[in-house]
Amino acid sequence: MIRERLTSIIFGALGVALFLALWEVIGVNRLAGLTWPPLSQVLQFLFEPARRGLFLRAMGATFTMVACGYLFGLIAGAVMAALVHMVRPMRPGMDKLASVVHAIPSIALAPIFIVLLSREVTGIAIATLNVFFVIYIATTSGLANSTQAHRDLFQVLGSSRLNRLLRLDLPAAMPALSSGMKQAIPAAFIGAILGEWFGSSSGLGLLMVSAMQNFQIPLLWSAVLIASTASLFTFAVMGLLERFVYARFQ
Amino acid sequence: MEIETVVSRVHPQWAIDIDHVGKTYMLDSGKELVAVENVLLRIEKGEFVALLGPSGCGKSTILRLVAALEEPTFGRVAIEGRDPAELSRSHRLGVAFQDHALLPWLTIWKNIALPYRVAGKTVDRQRIADLLALVGLSGFEKARPRQLSGGMRQRVSIARALVLNPDVLLLDEPFGALDAVTRRHMNVELQRIWSEERITTMLVTHSVEEALFLADRVVVMSGRPGKVVKTINVPFDRPRLPEVQRLPEFHHLADELTLALEPEGH
Repeated sequence: MIRERLTSIIFGALGVALFLALWEVIGVNRLAGLTWPPLSQVLQFLFEPARRGLFLRAMGATFTMVACGYLFGLIAGAVMAALVHMVRPMRPGMDKLASVVHAIPSIALAPIFIVLLSREVTGIAIATLNVFFVIYIATTSGLANSTQAHRDLFQVLGSSRLNRLLRLDLPAAMPALSSGMKQAIPAAFIGAILGEWFGSSSGLGLLMVSAMQNFQIPLLWSAVLIASTASLFTFAVMGLLERFVYARFQ
Repeated sequence: MEIETVVSRVHPQWAIDIDHVGKTYMLDSGKELVAVENVLLRIEKGEFVALLGPSGCGKSTILRLVAALEEPTFGRVAIEGRDPAELSRSHRLGVAFQDHALLPWLTIWKNIALPYRVAGKTVDRQRIADLLALVGLSGFEKARPRQLSGGMRQRVSIARALVLNPDVLLLDEPFGALDAVTRRHMNVELQRIWSEERITTMLVTHSVEEALFLADRVVVMSGRPGKVVKTINVPFDRPRLPEVQRLPEFHHLADELTLALEPEGH
C-alpha cells in the first residue's frame, strides 16, 4: 500500500520533470518557433523584481474573481439542490434548466453579461454559472445517497423532513459534494479568465490578451503559468479535502 | 371472529393489535405477491413476543407494518387503539434493524443522542451514560461505528432504540448478521437489558433458541403467504440465566417449535 503510493508519487514527479525538461528543450532549440520560450526564460521574466507589482495586482484581481464566482456558485448550487430535494415537483424543471444553461458555451454568454452587468463582474458571473452547474449536479445526486435503512430509521424516529435533510441527507451528500467542489475549481478559473478576456481592466486574463496583441511572448507565458499553477494547486488542495470528507462521512 | 374484532376496537387494551392483516405487493410483472395473509396477533402491554419463521415468511413485513413503514392491504394495525404512524410521529417507537443503521459520520454518543435531536428534545446525558453502561460500551462514547465490531454496533443500535423510553420496541433480527457465539452472548445481554426495562417488544427472528430464550410468547409463521401456524407461551421466569437453555423443558419446546417450522421435514 505505502509502496504503491510511493511508486505513484515517484512516477508522477518523473512525469512532471520530463514535461518541464521537454518544455525547456523545445524552447532553447526553437523547435516550435519564436512563440515557445524556454521555461527558464519564462521563470526569469516572472520573478523579475520590477514586475512583481504587475503580477501581484493581476493575481489579486483574478483570484478575487475566482473566489467570488466559486463561492456564489457553490452556495447557489448547494441551496438550489437542497431546495429541489425538498420540493420534489421542482426537480425535473430545475434539472432541465441547469442542463440547458450548461449546454450553452459560456463564451457565447459573455457578451450578454457584459451588456447586462458590467465588464468587471462578467468574470464572476461566468465563474458562478460554471460552478453552479457542477455543484448542483453533485449535490442533487449526493442527496439521494442515503441508504434505505437510514431513511427507515428517520421515519421510525418521527423525523420532520427538514430534520432529515440536515441530519441525514446532507451529511450523506458530503462525499459527492466534496468531489463536485474539486471539479468546480477549474470551472471557476475558466469563467474568471474568460470574463477578463472580454475587457476587464485588470487581471491575468487581461495580461494574456494584451501580451498576445503586443507579441510579449514571455509575459503571455508567465500569465498562463500563474493561472495554471494556481488552478492545479487549488485542485490538489480540494483533493485532500475530498479524501478527508470521504473518510469522515462514509 | 366477528365478535372478537368488535371487542378489540372498543377496548384498546392491546399494546399492539394486528387485526386480520394482509399485505399484498404488486410485482413488476403484474402478478400479485401475497406477503402475509390474515394475521391475527395481539400483544399485551409489557409483553415480549417473538415472531419466528423461515426467511421470506413475511415476519419482517409484520414488523414494518407495526412500525408504520408499510400500510396493510387488508385489516388493521393499531397500537394502543391508534394508528401506528402516530406512535412514530410522537417519538414513542424504538426500532433496532438487522442492519445496525448507525450514522457513520457520528460518534457512538451522538448516534445514541440522535433520537433526542430528531424529536427536538433536550439530550439527557445521564440516560445516555446509563444506557452505554447497560449495553457495556462505557468508554466508547467518542468512537465511530466503523471502529466497533459487529456485536458492539448492534448494542449501540439497541441503546439508541431504548434511549427515549419508547412504549414499543421492535427488533428486526438485530443479531442476524453475527456469528453464533457473539449472538448467544448478545441474547443474554438483551435478556438482561429487557428485564430491566420491560417494554412491549416484538422480536423478529429465525432462531428457535433466540425466540425461546427472550420471549414470553413465540408465534410461529409459515411462508408464502405468511400465516401464523402456532403460538406457544414460554414458562420460564425472569430474569433468565443462560442455564435456562439447558433445561429439558427448553429442549422440549425447542423441538416443538422446530417441528412447527418445518412440518414437511418431519
